[in-house]
Amino acid sequence: MAMEAVFFDGETAHDRAVRVERVGNELHFQGENTPLTRWSIAGLHPIDPPSPGQPFRLTHDSQRGSRLILRDDAFINDLIASNRALRGGYTFRHLGQVLGWTVGGLAVAAALGWFAMSFLPQQLAHLLPDSWRNRVGEQIVSSLVEKARKCETQAAMGAWSAMIAKLAEGNSNLPPISVSVYDVPIMNAFAAPGGRIVFTKQLLQEAETPDEVVGVLAHEIGHVAHLHPEAQMVRLAGLQILISAISNGGSGEWAGNIAALAAIFRYSRDAERQADEYARSTMAAASIDPMGLKHFFERVFKQEKGISNSTQTPSATKPTTLEKIGNIFSTHPGTEERIKDIQPLPADHVPAKVLSDEQWKSLKAVCG
Amino acid sequence: MSDTATLAGVQAPEQLTFSFVKRPGLLKITIVSFLLTLITLGFYRFWARTQVRKHIWSSVHINGEPLEYTGTGMELFKGFLVVFFVLILPIAVVTGLIGFFNPQSPLLFMIQFAVILAIYVLWGFAVYKAWNYKLSRTQWRGIRGALVGPAMTYSLLFFGSLMAKGMSLGWATPVMNTVLQEQITNDMRFGDAAFKFKGRAGPLYPTYALCWLLTLGAIILVSVLAIASAASWGPLFSEPFNDQPQNAEQIAGMLIIAAIVLLLVFLLLIPMLWAVYTATQMRVFADYTRFDGAPFRLEATTGSIIGLTVVNLLILIFTLGIGWPYINRRIVRYVVERLHLDGKIDIDRISQSKAAMPTRGEGLFDAFDVGGL
Repeated sequence: MAMEAVFFDGETAHDRAVRVERVGNELHFQGENTPLTRWSIAGLHPIDPPSPGQPFRLTHDSQRGSRLILRDDAFINDLIASNRALRGGYTFRHLGQVLGWTVGGLAVAAALGWFAMSFLPQQLAHLLPDSWRNRVGEQIVSSLVEKARKCETQAAMGAWSAMIAKLAEGNSNLPPISVSVYDVPIMNAFAAPGGRIVFTKQLLQEAETPDEVVGVLAHEIGHVAHLHPEAQMVRLAGLQILISAISNGGSGEWAGNIAALAAIFRYSRDAERQADEYARSTMAAASIDPMGLKHFFERVFKQEKGISNSTQTPSATKPTTLEKIGNIFSTHPGTEERIKDIQPLPADHVPAKVLSDEQWKSLKAVCG
Repeated sequence: MSDTATLAGVQAPEQLTFSFVKRPGLLKITIVSFLLTLITLGFYRFWARTQVRKHIWSSVHINGEPLEYTGTGMELFKGFLVVFFVLILPIAVVTGLIGFFNPQSPLLFMIQFAVILAIYVLWGFAVYKAWNYKLSRTQWRGIRGALVGPAMTYSLLFFGSLMAKGMSLGWATPVMNTVLQEQITNDMRFGDAAFKFKGRAGPLYPTYALCWLLTLGAIILVSVLAIASAASWGPLFSEPFNDQPQNAEQIAGMLIIAAIVLLLVFLLLIPMLWAVYTATQMRVFADYTRFDGAPFRLEATTGSIIGLTVVNLLILIFTLGIGWPYINRRIVRYVVERLHLDGKIDIDRISQSKAAMPTRGEGLFDAFDVGGL
């Protein structure tokens, strides 16, 4: 049975009346000025899903620009019955594709993100000029300690120098560092870009022996030697760029908020392990007893668990950013497991005395 | 005689009539689009927009033959990718790097200024490219549309018009809008048949002046009322209230409520006022536009535009934006049902457009978040 239909050839807007006939797996149509054309039913594509009362428009793989317009519902239904793809609209294949691309896209994004966040910053950190490291280190330290008092005495400086000199006995390649102490009522120590290492008064007060302090110092020097603070800054800048790209712009303000600063000093477990390893080998070579560090952490950790954070002595004035970030455990993940890894000095090593009693006393008293 | 003419394929010129024939299925498209956009973290929006356009285009009938949208989601996605990697990411990297090495650098400020300037310069470019893409993907009777001019001319004109409008406190608006409309319409083709725009901005000015002066009057009125109420209630605040603090609080509360109501009325009245101008401009521009020699006519009225906008706004608010396909459909329907082409067109004579098809979708337009149709 032949049906009346309209054919557009995609060359002119002229509507050509044709007669369409279904012959086996093909549609045959021809008209006054349309030669006999054969379209396979399998190669047909609907322009829209069929809708009652609306013309049903078809195109074919062989003539993508052409349109065949059917208007007879019975003929249309018959045609759709033989090729489900003509129903148009959403298909499970369509949805499957979307899901496939989504999962694939997320996987690629995750892989790129891992590369950009874990591998790249550490490499780029080595390219940063010293002038930048110094300037940013200074900014970071001052934005963390804010108005907190800097504790400085001639005797304490001598004590730090002695500790550094002792560590240098074990490692002739110690990076250049500068150590400072601030009167901040939380217990922490951190390394900033440019070899700046900061101790809090509270940490020095909690320490019972010089071995404990030198252990923490060696660990922080490990971060400096591996350029962890610099890498963290690069990571943060990368994150900032990504966020501003996704949000279509945004400013270059990137180190301003506390979350960002906290992120800077919360290293990955790998970085902590690297710093531990650096501290362990340096101390072993310098014959410094690592058990001091172990005892310090164990003691402090027990305390921490017993007393909740809220009972920490609050500072009378507005808390500094460093206080908000928290103590050494909130910036050094996995401490508990790492404590277990600290091994005593080999039996043939005689533990060295790091500081004289005089020096130790003056260090403890640095903040008065 | 007419029979032989038909047989020979030469039909008489026809009157074109536009009609909107609602199709079922938009709700399904809306829901699926929303869900897929959600699970793909927004990336499905290009395909969603394509589905919605296909649906709406198919509902627009000209002499019983529906329009067809032939664009694909992938084209829109490619447009987005190009803009992201050529424009957005480099800008983010450069500003990020400068901020990283020297946050106080004056370069940072200069780059931000340059970016803002570039957005204004490129805005017209984006508008033109977006129209070109949509026209090239719009078919009727197998013939597609096109914009055949250089986008840069329109872009510069657009930038110039922004400056002129600003510097003239808006008074250049009718002239500039007319020039812009003329530029883009005269580039517009359907197949090898051209659209023409010819007319002066003069007839727009009485309405513009009315709206402009009424707006100014409203601003002055609100300012005077605000100052007057502040002045009359002011002394109350300067006197000690300790004996009747509740009274003071009540008065302050009433004042705040009054100020908010006044502001709301103001914010609603001003756009409604400007609907008068919008309707006039739409009518006049339609009158100035011809297709293949036949003039258009658009029955746009102030009331209907306000109705359209208010309902669209309500849909947007109450569906939390999910109902955007319905808003798009209502806008298209509004125009289609009021548009007329007075005069006959020899449709059969129109042959396919020779203009090059853009290969990517409206990436820049999308980046500027103007979205919509």
